[in-house]
Amino acid sequence: MSGQEQDITDNDVLAYADGQLDGDARDRVERHLTADPAATALVREWQRQNGLLEALYGPVARESVPERLQPQRLARLRKASDASSWRQLAAALALLALGTGSGWLAHGFLAGDRGMAEPLVAQAVEAHDLYSGDVLHPVEVKAEDSAHLQTWLSKRLDRKLSIPDLRSDGLNLVGGRLLPAAGGEPAALIMYEDDSGQHVSLYVVPTDDGGETALRYNNVDGLEAISWTDEDVHCALIGGLPRARLEAIAKAAYAQLI
Amino acid sequence: MGEILDEIADCVPALRRYARALTHNRDGADDLVQDCLERAIRKRSLWRPIGPIRPWLFRILLNLHRNELRHLRRNPTAAPLDEFTERLATPGSQFEHAALAETARAMERLPDEQREALLLVAVEGLDYRQAAEVLEIPVGTLMSRLGRARTALRQMTSENGRPVLKAIK
Repeated sequence: MSGQEQDITDNDVLAYADGQLDGDARDRVERHLTADPAATALVREWQRQNGLLEALYGPVARESVPERLQPQRLARLRKASDASSWRQLAAALALLALGTGSGWLAHGFLAGDRGMAEPLVAQAVEAHDLYSGDVLHPVEVKAEDSAHLQTWLSKRLDRKLSIPDLRSDGLNLVGGRLLPAAGGEPAALIMYEDDSGQHVSLYVVPTDDGGETALRYNNVDGLEAISWTDEDVHCALIGGLPRARLEAIAKAAYAQLI
Repeated sequence: MGEILDEIADCVPALRRYARALTHNRDGADDLVQDCLERAIRKRSLWRPIGPIRPWLFRILLNLHRNELRHLRRNPTAAPLDEFTERLATPGSQFEHAALAETARAMERLPDEQREALLLVAVEGLDYRQAAEVLEIPVGTLMSRLGRARTALRQMTSENGRPVLKAIK
């Protein structure tokens, strides 16, 4: 029996002190502790640390929650602001219907210009055109290495990215590549393909301004483009698909990317 | 959506605790929690994440916190001096004020990744698997961070002015 207990490692002692073990695993460590005062002292020290940390931070969770942190209230506020942006959108559409002159004014509004949007889409479309047509090397890192793709792009863009899984929208990952954005900073291109061989590209550029925007729609030479800003990345989704389908894909990508 | 909001609301006290422990700054921590909740509510209306809500919320909070740290590193400002240790009031605690203040200072000196891991396990009570999921690392990596965090914390703190223990091995 004692031979078996020599297998006890520092990690086992740690897991025991943290209450992570049960059944046989716990019994084994307990038997070990009776014969090893140093390990016993360590368990006591780790548990004392837990006690100190609980004493230090535990009381925060017993404070009453300020009103601004009540989810129900935040959800109501959000609903109200959504409703008002729909009203603005409706107003802009009405303007658009008035004629080309005022329609042009509305165009800027609808596109929600924030300076970056148009160049971003142009770059994304260029990259999409260049690489989706490349039969041999559309991507640098293929879907088979998607774990590597994720860590590599996250590292180069200095953002924690997840490669969106869009299979439920009928898109399989082809892979991705790194390329220079207009300002020379690194951008990522993540490419997907549907069963008919249609390519869809997700283009991602880091930004420091942060913030959030609604989805913006463009049509560039027959390609649909949907762009948005989420926290600290600008994104554009490009594909030759109907707008409604691309919109569903954009929402799925938005939900998963960061 | 209503039920989900209730579930999210149940997590708010723990999110505040985690945020406060990460930042040692009351207002900054609550701002972080508010960002996290707004983001969760927004994402929730588009997409239902698979799995339990609590680890998902912790992950959002942590990502926001890391973004903020990265932003601060790039645009250093005179960080507001943290009042956490000064405000420390611990009536009825089994520990002395000095020991708690010392622990608080030691926590501030831990590397970010060690502090994030230790707090999830020791304060938030997540099991190793859940904590590893929140941090998006393997369980083995989590345990090595925990081990290093605890050893560092022990070295930085003492009992009655003496080191508590000699390191074993």
